[in-house]
Amino acid sequence: MRISQALPRLGSSTRAKETMILFWVGGFSFAVAATAVDEIREVTGLQEFPSRLAKVTHTLERQGRHYFVVDAARHFRLMAADSTRLMVLRNSPVAVIVDAIDRMQEIQSIHALPEGFHGEERIWYRGLTLLKGKVVPVVRPDTFLTKAEITLLNAALRAKASMKALGAMA
Amino acid sequence: MIELATNCETFVLFPLGKKRFALPARQVSELARQDERQTFPHTTPLLTGVVLRRNQIVPVADIAPLLVGPEAPERKFYLVINRQTKGKSSRTAVPVTGDCELANAERLPVTGKLPPYVCGLLSLHDEIVEVLDFERLMAAEVRA
Repeated sequence: MRISQALPRLGSSTRAKETMILFWVGGFSFAVAATAVDEIREVTGLQEFPSRLAKVTHTLERQGRHYFVVDAARHFRLMAADSTRLMVLRNSPVAVIVDAIDRMQEIQSIHALPEGFHGEERIWYRGLTLLKGKVVPVVRPDTFLTKAEITLLNAALRAKASMKALGAMA
Repeated sequence: MIELATNCETFVLFPLGKKRFALPARQVSELARQDERQTFPHTTPLLTGVVLRRNQIVPVADIAPLLVGPEAPERKFYLVINRQTKGKSSRTAVPVTGDCELANAERLPVTGKLPPYVCGLLSLHDEIVEVLDFERLMAAEVRA
């Protein structure tokens, strides 16, 4: 049986070529704008940093700056897997641990997330893109950590540095 | 001679396991074979992924566990439903377990204790079919 009715025009999409970095987390593929990533590196040289945020357990010191390392699996509420790469974000004190980097790819358009989705994914994603028939969410890089979370973590980092300095004096 | 009831509406009857449910036909845009369902991380209850239908990305809402429990048999088709969410038109694909049917029937008021997402009953021969309010069904899941 097939029922056909006039379909409303649905789903807006933004048409503009944009280069994406495709990466894997927990068996899922994601895309992030290449312009949002400063460096992709191995997961080495991290310092432990216990914080109130379960997804941030380490920091990275790079070129005199501290980066808070976000576990992407925890951010997207996925099962932890073998994380092999660190994406250091541009213009942000955030680095993201991911399972693997897939490739760079130019995309033609980003489709709005369908209205039926109303959970945290509305914050996480700019929208969805289609790559050879596969639906891939396009991540908003500035949502791995909010400004408030960065403020909180910066305060904790300063407190840790003060404790270390006091320990050295004693 | 066929006798037509005065307040007849057209409904799409769809099976979920041994039970059938109804939706007003005006809400249903198509019935399609199961396309490849794709998924990505999200936190919206009931949604199990998306399918591509006519170059659109359509979310899939699997309501079977909610309506007939976890033992619902394999879903074979999608019923694609037109929705109005926050004033915007959207579509949602609902997996169903078998062939669907169109029926003209009078919607009877709900009697007895039924879930809030049942907005009417259809009396069809020896079967009583619950008419679903899809928006309330989805909202009920959100509240649960």
